[in-house]
Amino acid sequence: MGSDSDSQTKLHDDMELRARIDRSLRHPVMFFFASGAAWLAVALILGFISSYQSHDTRFLSGVGFLNYGRVYPAHLNVLIYGWGCQAAFGLIVWLMARLSRKECTCPGVILTAGHIWNFGVLAGMLGILWGYGSGKPWMEFPSAIWPLFLVSYFFITVWSFIQFRCSEPGKTYVAQWYLLAALFWFPWVYLTAHLFVFVFNGHPVMAAGVNAWFKYALIFLFFTPVALGTSYYLAPKVTGRPVYSYPLALFGFWALAIIGPWAGMQKLAGGPLPQFMPYVGAAATVLILIPALAVGVNILMTLRGHESQVVASPSLRFTIAGIASFLILGLVGMGLNTPAALKMTQFSLTGYGFEILAIYGFFSMCAFGGIYFIVPRVTRREWLSRRFIGWHFWLTIYGIATVVVCSIMGGLFHGAAQEAYNSAWQDAAKISYAYTVGTTVAWGFILFGSLFFLLHLLLMWARLGRRSQHPTLLQGEHHGESPHGPEDDLDKLHTAEA
Amino acid sequence: MDRRTIWINFILRKPDPMTFKAFILALALSFGVPWLLIIVVPYGKMRNLEAVHFEMDSDGRDEVYVPRRSGRITTGSAVYGANGCYVCHTQLIRASYAGSELGRPDWAGFRIKDENGVTINTARETTPYDYVGESFAHVGIMRVGPDLSNVAGRIRGYLEDPLTKADTPENWLYLHLYNSSLKTRTFNNVTGCPSQAHLFEERVVRGQGSPEAVPGISKEGVEILPTGDARALVSYLLSLRKDDAVPYSINYSREKKKAE
Repeated sequence: MGSDSDSQTKLHDDMELRARIDRSLRHPVMFFFASGAAWLAVALILGFISSYQSHDTRFLSGVGFLNYGRVYPAHLNVLIYGWGCQAAFGLIVWLMARLSRKECTCPGVILTAGHIWNFGVLAGMLGILWGYGSGKPWMEFPSAIWPLFLVSYFFITVWSFIQFRCSEPGKTYVAQWYLLAALFWFPWVYLTAHLFVFVFNGHPVMAAGVNAWFKYALIFLFFTPVALGTSYYLAPKVTGRPVYSYPLALFGFWALAIIGPWAGMQKLAGGPLPQFMPYVGAAATVLILIPALAVGVNILMTLRGHESQVVASPSLRFTIAGIASFLILGLVGMGLNTPAALKMTQFSLTGYGFEILAIYGFFSMCAFGGIYFIVPRVTRREWLSRRFIGWHFWLTIYGIATVVVCSIMGGLFHGAAQEAYNSAWQDAAKISYAYTVGTTVAWGFILFGSLFFLLHLLLMWARLGRRSQHPTLLQGEHHGESPHGPEDDLDKLHTAEA
Repeated sequence: MDRRTIWINFILRKPDPMTFKAFILALALSFGVPWLLIIVVPYGKMRNLEAVHFEMDSDGRDEVYVPRRSGRITTGSAVYGANGCYVCHTQLIRASYAGSELGRPDWAGFRIKDENGVTINTARETTPYDYVGESFAHVGIMRVGPDLSNVAGRIRGYLEDPLTKADTPENWLYLHLYNSSLKTRTFNNVTGCPSQAHLFEERVVRGQGSPEAVPGISKEGVEILPTGDARALVSYLLSLRKDDAVPYSINYSREKKKAE
């Protein structure tokens, strides 16, 4: 009997610790998720406008600051720095604290740095729209913003690093490898790219090359590891079984670490820089299929046999969609970067489709999965409406699929027409018309779905969620068995003790 | 244990948990090697490109190649970037193994008659010297509109169109920027370049009007004047041309000939 009550105490201490961690991080994490979701809505509105302008140039053409050439960069930069990075920060901060079993001791610093980051995004977006953009893809924010981002990045994430170093030695989780690697890569990639493009006085073509590399490095060395870390946390956690294969996870991780940093310069294929650089970039993007397969098989095999939970749990649904997108990203990356295809994809719409697939189809879906898991824990309330979650999921899935298919298919036709140098240029210019219309409609749907998400998230932050001990599931009754394990039952435990 | 067993054990065993130091070191290596090889070293090497020479035996003269380019390149390039021209326009003529734009008429050079009346094609791919004066090569994202590497040269042809209202290359570009359907070329404006009217200001005509007003825009009592940004941008665009002779050693044109 004694050992029984011992384990009971241990379980109780464990829950107390997790509850303390969640409480210490409530405001930073909710701040990143909510402001990220708000920026996501802004990015989607800008995406809708820019997509509409790409098939009807008269749309809003009287408004100087909403010119296509300014709205398009603003759309992508707000999507990346406003939504992507902030969602990633929320995930990193919470997951590292939980996995290292350490409370956050300075949520105030994280919150302050988070506000600075948001100020940077706002200033950067207005800068682009008012004609002060730098004109370097994905770095269009005026050049005063990037040091600000780097400093605030440091104060947001350094605590996660410290928590990991101070945690008790023992098992390190797969999720932690990915998150640590993302913490390590981001400043190196970000600082390198901005120093070489904005500060050092080098050759203009090489500056463009570093810029092209930066795009892919940000995707493969920051957004990818954060998304995979989240999936490697959620899949075992929700199903309650260990990761399917540890060696496969190890292989997938190091494959990404070794292949990822080479990708990106294929944007300059055929340009005046050493020829090996673009083609090494193309080859690396082709090889991304290797880590994609390793991770895809591993996560899907972990979830095998738990189909009912995948259907019911919002977190798992979004995670599966994200992992499927990663597999598609690997396949598409392989198809679009062979030397023959690269001719057609280098300057056509396909590049946009690939970027949106990476940032939205893959990273954001995994991030949504994490958010649907984390928010009920830090607010200690359950999601209000399974309909909202369902709408968000289906509108996003269909919307993203449409954007990606239209951009990639339209881009291939567009590219083939560009290559037909004996036909008039207008043929190539007009061929993607129908596809851009499709993209516009799809952004509208995605925007609609995301508004539900934003509203739902804000209600949760206001602590208006359901007071319940059972999570909101997409199927089945609310009083069904929790798929998230016993940790939601802290209240029940307290009640039982009383 | 024989060698085979050691290998099988190595492959099948559960890997030892890595130490933190080894983990960070491995990350630093796997990132650092490509970082050095495709970023740092090429950046350093391209920073000080050796000067290219015209050689006596291939070019018929012996002097250093100085790329010819004039105009408000620094300011114009910034205006080009700030207004997102690079989203729809590229500035890169790829080598023929990577793309076929060398074959498009007037994109990469011209067919001109030399002093003997023989037609020569000056089309050539982009060289590292074509971006001289800029801090960032606006290679571009998409080719929604045509490539601009040789736009200044093409405009000469556009001016010969009897319907055009522009009389100078500058005015042709001002018309294109103000409203691309006004220049009477055959593009349908629905798929054309969006109007950049914010680069212009409207003013009530006083007296005979300003000599700098953009011609061909009929608005009662109002004239359209390019702002400083528009002037810089147009000056920059008119510096984009591919008709100067480059040394034989960096000329990758298919029809290049050695000087006799």
